[in-house]
Amino acid sequence: MNVSNAPTLPDVAWRQKHLLDVDVLSLAEIQLVMRTTDAMKEVLARPISKVPALRGTNVTILFYEASTRTRVSFEVAAKNLSADVVNIAASSSSVTKGESLVDTIRTVEALGADMIVMRHGTSGAPYLAAEVFAGSILNGGDGWHAHPSQALLDLYTMRAHLGDVRGKKVVILGDVLHSRVARSNVWSLTAAGADLWICGPTTILRGFDAWARRWAGGGAPGHAGFTVTSDVDAALRDADVVMALRLQRERMDAGLLPSLREYAARFGLTRERLAIAKPTALVMHPGPMNEGVEIAPDVAVLDRSVITEQVTNGVAVRMALLYLLAGGHPEAVTNA
Amino acid sequence: MPDLRVGETVQLLEISRAWLVDPVGEREGPGEIVVRDGILESVTWLQGDEAEGIGPGGVLVLPGFLDIHVHLREPGNEDAETVASGLAAAAHGGFTTVCAMPNTTPAADEPGVLARVAGAAAASGSPVELLAHGAVTVGRAGERLAALGELADAGAVGFSDDGSPVKSAVLLRNALLYAGMLGLPIVEHAEDATLTAGAEANEGLVATILGLKGWPAAAEVSAVERAIAILESVLADSPGARLHVTHLSTAGALDAVRRAKAAGLPVTCDVTPHHLGFTDEWVAGARRWAWEALDDAGAARDPWADGALVAHPYATACRVNPPLRGATDAAACLASLADGTADAVVTDHAPHTAVDKETEFGLAANGISGVEMAFGVLLAAVTAGRLPLARAVAALTVGPAAVLGARPGRRGAARGLVEGAPADLVVVDAGDRWRVTGDALLSRGKNTPLLGRELPGRILLTVAQGRVAYRDADA
Repeated sequence: MNVSNAPTLPDVAWRQKHLLDVDVLSLAEIQLVMRTTDAMKEVLARPISKVPALRGTNVTILFYEASTRTRVSFEVAAKNLSADVVNIAASSSSVTKGESLVDTIRTVEALGADMIVMRHGTSGAPYLAAEVFAGSILNGGDGWHAHPSQALLDLYTMRAHLGDVRGKKVVILGDVLHSRVARSNVWSLTAAGADLWICGPTTILRGFDAWARRWAGGGAPGHAGFTVTSDVDAALRDADVVMALRLQRERMDAGLLPSLREYAARFGLTRERLAIAKPTALVMHPGPMNEGVEIAPDVAVLDRSVITEQVTNGVAVRMALLYLLAGGHPEAVTNA
Repeated sequence: MPDLRVGETVQLLEISRAWLVDPVGEREGPGEIVVRDGILESVTWLQGDEAEGIGPGGVLVLPGFLDIHVHLREPGNEDAETVASGLAAAAHGGFTTVCAMPNTTPAADEPGVLARVAGAAAASGSPVELLAHGAVTVGRAGERLAALGELADAGAVGFSDDGSPVKSAVLLRNALLYAGMLGLPIVEHAEDATLTAGAEANEGLVATILGLKGWPAAAEVSAVERAIAILESVLADSPGARLHVTHLSTAGALDAVRRAKAAGLPVTCDVTPHHLGFTDEWVAGARRWAWEALDDAGAARDPWADGALVAHPYATACRVNPPLRGATDAAACLASLADGTADAVVTDHAPHTAVDKETEFGLAANGISGVEMAFGVLLAAVTAGRLPLARAVAALTVGPAAVLGARPGRRGAARGLVEGAPADLVVVDAGDRWRVTGDALLSRGKNTPLLGRELPGRILLTVAQGRVAYRDADA
């Protein structure tokens, strides 16, 4: 029995076996993740930031793409929960000998994996893995499609500073076309009721404008619409949050952009541009950053830049997700 | 239907009180047929009281179907399909003639490959007639013309580099000129490959949300318009030149063909059951028919808003070239059959092994196994009131026959219910349904998003050249 003075939240059950994208999460489930993350933050604040919640659980981290931030974040999260962690980098596995994804998943399962955190360069690959794996798949990023833990840590970070994000103007600025972060953020932020704006050059907004138009009269059930524009000033005006996205150099080679210089001049997040937003506007970036391209170096280190806080919160959110997928209940974290 | 064994000549078959469709005589209605010793002995149209209670929702007797675009994978990929398994599958789909595409390994770019395929058909013992297209270019590499004249002499009914477009405009021009001299069509897979490099799914809402690289309609529209312009430019020098654009999937490309036909150009085209019945929503996990995905204004609905996603997203069975399009393009494909812009329905039957399909969506092979489900998909459209039955049957019979051209002596070319000719027909119970399962399919390719689903129209019997090509075990 909980006898605190805190407002009692509706007791929401976690229904998900896998977490492949945030599109399947209701707002109540997203709030459950947020509450569980609060508990994990409390664990992380302890001198010994480790709980036995996932003792005896094998968490295999299977990454088909290079990653430092996300892979280490998941590894730290799993270890904080006392899970047994196995790391597989695809370049050093039999994948290079031509083993199929399905065979790799079956092999990992036979080796004892209870949960797989998976990063893959192909959109949808975790759905294939989920069809053959008996345990839980946690999508650590697939192609251009989804990066659910990133979107949830972004939302957590925004809420930590703004409280409820409902009605708050959040701008995602940059290469959304190739961004799984952007797509997952569309689902989570429209579920949370934020006033979401997406901004970039027309060549890399392709498809998003049509998506926004389609959702203008109401999107998927429980989701608000959002706005897409190439007008940076309109997007940034009075914004509460500005999230810059990494611009990849190879996009120029594909003929999508004339030059990095031109991109930086027109769409880079500079101090001058940031002045259009609210004075308190948060600056975010999922990393890794191209300083001087999508974000000016002096902007990245402003007091209201929460970029390193995103990294810290990432561990707590991933602990929460691993914990919920393993069947845990948020109120039980501290006793687990 | 006793005493009907696959491969044997039909001794005696009497079907009374059925709904007959004869696209040659442009007639449909209640009737009876008698087949004796393999010959369609009599066709009787019933009138008055005798016709009472007989409708198109019961037993249908139709001419055998003709599919001018199938992939039988032999030689080279016999684990995906063989000529024998492909012909058995065709018979199960009601087809009595199929035309194999030349993108085998090696490609059918010289008469030896055609002879090998014909030999496999003969060895299979199937009464289903196998025709073949030859390749346009050597190895389908798009560099030099294949042995078009020798291929024609060996029986090729057209030329195609299908799987890819003829790479250069100048080669397409020369192929149209030369094939025109031979009296044969160029069957063009119209795609501007510069617009589709790495493309995965129809450009639009579904591809955007799923993070798949968009496959723009403009890639097809511009390629069709280019091919038509080139055709027009060669007619003065090669009056027999003919262009057939295959598996059109977009309203824009069909409009281009409609305009070219109105201008009197010798252009024909076809559409597939999957492009008129399925949509790109299926990639996201929807499974409603294309005509159910339209709103009252004729625009595509949003499957996320509708809660219409019932299956896993990224099913590789939905990956095909050209891609499944939006509901408005699918509606344009259906409308093109109704108004005659599309001359034929082809299945583009593209069997693949599980290995080539049980993989990431972006790495999976393109193609849908379709020859056994084609009539069921069309009948679903007929039942929904979206397509007249007579048009569906014409697009499977006289339509494709006209694309190939009426050549004296070719078997089955008539595609009607003709008394005194060898029986070539399909008997369907339009009131019955069947479940598409891996075991039910005779094709080695089980790659269809219809797996597990029921289709209307159980095919009871297929008779080709007077012989039983398929019969339902329970009929």
